[in-house]
Amino acid sequence: MFFNVNDVKQFQSQKDFIDTALVPLLSLEFEDERIKQSSSAADFLMSLTAFVEQQFKGRLMLVPPFSYTKQTKAGLPVILLKEELQNAGFKHVIFITNDHAWTSDSEQVDVIWLPSIPLESMDKGVRKTVLEEQLKQIIPILTSKWFQS
Amino acid sequence: MSNNRVSRRQFLNYTLTGVGGFMAAGILMPMVRFAIDPALQTKTDGDFVQTSQKVADLTEEPVKVDFSYEQVDAWYTSEVTDTAWVYKSGDSIVALSPVCKHLGCTVNWNSDTEHPNQFFCACHGGRYEKTGKNIPGTPPLGPLDAYEVSEKDGFLLLGKKIANNLV
Repeated sequence: MFFNVNDVKQFQSQKDFIDTALVPLLSLEFEDERIKQSSSAADFLMSLTAFVEQQFKGRLMLVPPFSYTKQTKAGLPVILLKEELQNAGFKHVIFITNDHAWTSDSEQVDVIWLPSIPLESMDKGVRKTVLEEQLKQIIPILTSKWFQS
Repeated sequence: MSNNRVSRRQFLNYTLTGVGGFMAAGILMPMVRFAIDPALQTKTDGDFVQTSQKVADLTEEPVKVDFSYEQVDAWYTSEVTDTAWVYKSGDSIVALSPVCKHLGCTVNWNSDTEHPNQFFCACHGGRYEKTGKNIPGTPPLGPLDAYEVSEKDGFLLLGKKIANNLV
């Protein structure tokens, strides 16, 4: 499910089944020497989460990404975010990011950290295989979360 | 010199009718064409999409076949990649849509070790038989959709999504 009106309507009527929120945490950097890499990482994270959504459309909702810069990162209290989503009916709230710093919060929130892969130089077929490989890493994390409950 | 001479009046009549006829035809022809145009348009192969899967390589075991086509949403054209599970059943080819009929996840073949030789949906444990028939007691309420299948130069073509006709 995406965060649009039709999918949200379906979520409201099927809360028993759609019980997982996937929240991308997106680090943006605008300095001249970092901006290119930052955009590449953002592109990767967006492509990957859309691919995950396609696979698990009926169980998880992909929330629009929460973006931050170095300066504003401190203003992003993920624990509060998790609570708010849980109050909305999502039993599982899973964050996904390229930013390694979030792994230190992994005791309080579920974070999937993935190193970003530059997709821009790949043609469509290779891109798809790379995303499929990454997806294979994510599937066991998600299913183990689902089995715990 | 021949005896039946053409009078000035006759000559003018003939030429005017001739020229007038051509002009009338010139005006009418495009109008008629526009009127019956939909009937003249050639159908482009029934909207089948070429895949890279060779028909000869298909077996009884379902394989994933990707195919892409252009989708036009108003003025925005995007290339959409879709997938089908394709296998041979006797002499005919079966292509099933991987979209679970429950809430739209993607199903996989043989991915659940406890229930081999079935399509399995990891979201809520939905299962389908090889024909796409949903297994009672699992969440899905209907069988998997199928694709129209055709063949061209040894390659598989996939067409419109249709209701599953195997169950």
